[in-house]
Amino acid sequence: MDHKDSSKDNMGRLAGVLRAMRLSEPTVEKVLLHRKKTGQIWHIFRSNWVGMLGLAILMVFVVMAVFAGLLMYIFSIIGGWEDAYGPFDEVAPVGAGIEPSSEHWLGTDIRGFDILARVVYGTRVSLEVGLVATVVSMGLGSAVGLLSGFWGGWKDEVLMRITDVFLVIPWLVLMIVLATVLPGGPSVTKVVLVIGVTGWSSTARIVRAQVLSIKERAFVERARAIGAGDYYIVRKHVFPNVFPLVFANSILTVALSILSESTLSFIKLGPDPTQVVTWGNMLQDAVDGYAIINELYLWIVVPGLCIVFVVLGFTFIGYALDEIFNPKLRKR
Amino acid sequence: MKRSTKLIARKVLNSFITLMLVVMLNFVLFRMMPGNPINTMVPNDPKIPQEYKEQLIEKYGLLDPLPEQFVKYLKGVLTLDFGDSFIYRNTPATDLIVNNLRWTLLLTGTSSVLMIVIGMMIGVISAWKRGSWFDTGSLAFSLFFYAMPTFWFAMMLIVLFAIELPWFPSGGALTIGADFSYTLDSIADMLKHLFLPMVSLTVGSIAAFSIIMRGSLIDVMTEEYITTARAKGLKESHVLRHHAVPNAMLPMVALIAIDMAFVVGGAFQTEVVFNYPGIGWATVEATYQLDFPVLQAAFFLIAVVVIFANLAADVLMVYLDPRVKLG
Repeated sequence: MDHKDSSKDNMGRLAGVLRAMRLSEPTVEKVLLHRKKTGQIWHIFRSNWVGMLGLAILMVFVVMAVFAGLLMYIFSIIGGWEDAYGPFDEVAPVGAGIEPSSEHWLGTDIRGFDILARVVYGTRVSLEVGLVATVVSMGLGSAVGLLSGFWGGWKDEVLMRITDVFLVIPWLVLMIVLATVLPGGPSVTKVVLVIGVTGWSSTARIVRAQVLSIKERAFVERARAIGAGDYYIVRKHVFPNVFPLVFANSILTVALSILSESTLSFIKLGPDPTQVVTWGNMLQDAVDGYAIINELYLWIVVPGLCIVFVVLGFTFIGYALDEIFNPKLRKR
Repeated sequence: MKRSTKLIARKVLNSFITLMLVVMLNFVLFRMMPGNPINTMVPNDPKIPQEYKEQLIEKYGLLDPLPEQFVKYLKGVLTLDFGDSFIYRNTPATDLIVNNLRWTLLLTGTSSVLMIVIGMMIGVISAWKRGSWFDTGSLAFSLFFYAMPTFWFAMMLIVLFAIELPWFPSGGALTIGADFSYTLDSIADMLKHLFLPMVSLTVGSIAAFSIIMRGSLIDVMTEEYITTARAKGLKESHVLRHHAVPNAMLPMVALIAIDMAFVVGGAFQTEVVFNYPGIGWATVEATYQLDFPVLQAAFFLIAVVVIFANLAADVLMVYLDPRVKLG
């Protein structure tokens, strides 16, 4: 009960603020409606424990990424270390890994880097690659899907055949070939580009199907009858209806992109581990440093588990959003 | 024309177009990327005599205008000739890939059968006992492995079952130096080497099948003919086995084709971790060595196999499910 009252209160306050800003009455109404809609979605989401669990997991990693330096500083005080280690500080002799100790909780790798510091800082680039690659592939996929569905005819055919190619070729094979033939050495930008260019096809399919069904609806017909142009219809009618779908889909794509980054890095097509640290290239480094034979298991286990949990977090949220946006899936 | 004939003709045409686009993409990727195509088509190794390099430039016509190069390339594609490997001189790239194909087929074949069977069984039980501890437990279990990078899971398997508990070999397809023959010892050796890679490829993909099977079966269970079957007094297990499951399996056929792309990706990773001498291992080795002809051959052959598998699944769907629509 409390929650409802306070939300009503907030709405009233928001309306007051907006009116004070001398916005026109329709604008105020629109903002309030939007606010109410997001509020409802959040309300359903909150009751979905799988989604909330996913969100909680992600929050942990987001905090780790944003406050990596601060976190290591706090750890250094708790552990009584000389210094808050960074990911590229050689804190131990090179050539042999050190077992976990009070100074190095997860031990060090054979480059003499502190594994904990690398895992914590590695969160940054791993998440960044996942998010940016998703934006690239969602952008490409939505654009192709929108145009294809909206144009129809031979242009649609052409775009869909190209989409088929990207859909059918195994993603890893395409990524490997792209990463190898693209000029320039391995870098974060290249990895993002390769993942984005490889992963857009299923989004294009989904968006196209949605556009096709919206195009035939009566409200689009009506808008057209009163003289609305293509651009207006896409912006006002098609896009708002396609967006939630793209959004739910993109959450899962982030998970896939993070997995892709780690896989690419693992086969040495990712960023250089001495320049940038990601969980993926830590694992590749571990293989190169014979972590298994030297029994430096934490060097492999910890970055791997981080990947597993981040991917799980995104998957859980995606699963929950899917239930919200596709009411058919909700339990009857 | 009959509806199904028309549908299949359309699918075949689409697959053919996709294939042609792949042929073109393969050309564009290797010859038209920024930078000199000579760098990608001729080994950039100072140890290789200039004479040999010039031979290669001549052979592929790398200095000819692009249209002429394309015609030459097309001829190569038709005869499956992508040139000789840069690393293993005088070995055609295609031979190298085809040689490794049997190990990949063994690995992906056995794993695919396992993941489909296990996934379907879990899906059926989950749907049948919806909401039970088995349902929740199997979902959590399969999602956990689904979220894992295949290569990492493979590494964990090596740590656990090849090093800490030395039950299985940590890599290779056969004991080093051994040649495969049809003797019991040799087959046992092969299976022993196959086991861990197979597990690593199978476990991660079970979720894809079990979740779809569960959803599909739950959907089917709400159909009226199931109620009818129950009303006739048929046993629950009979209804499940003979009425629900066969119909719920339809989406699985499409899924198997889609999942092939993922199986290939997983096989690549597994082969690399276990040094299993399949196509994936050969391809990744080729990227390390910048052995472009091998890469080109692998890309093309894998695409062809996957396109045909998809076409087969599509055609099968037309016969299995009369509701499949054009488009």
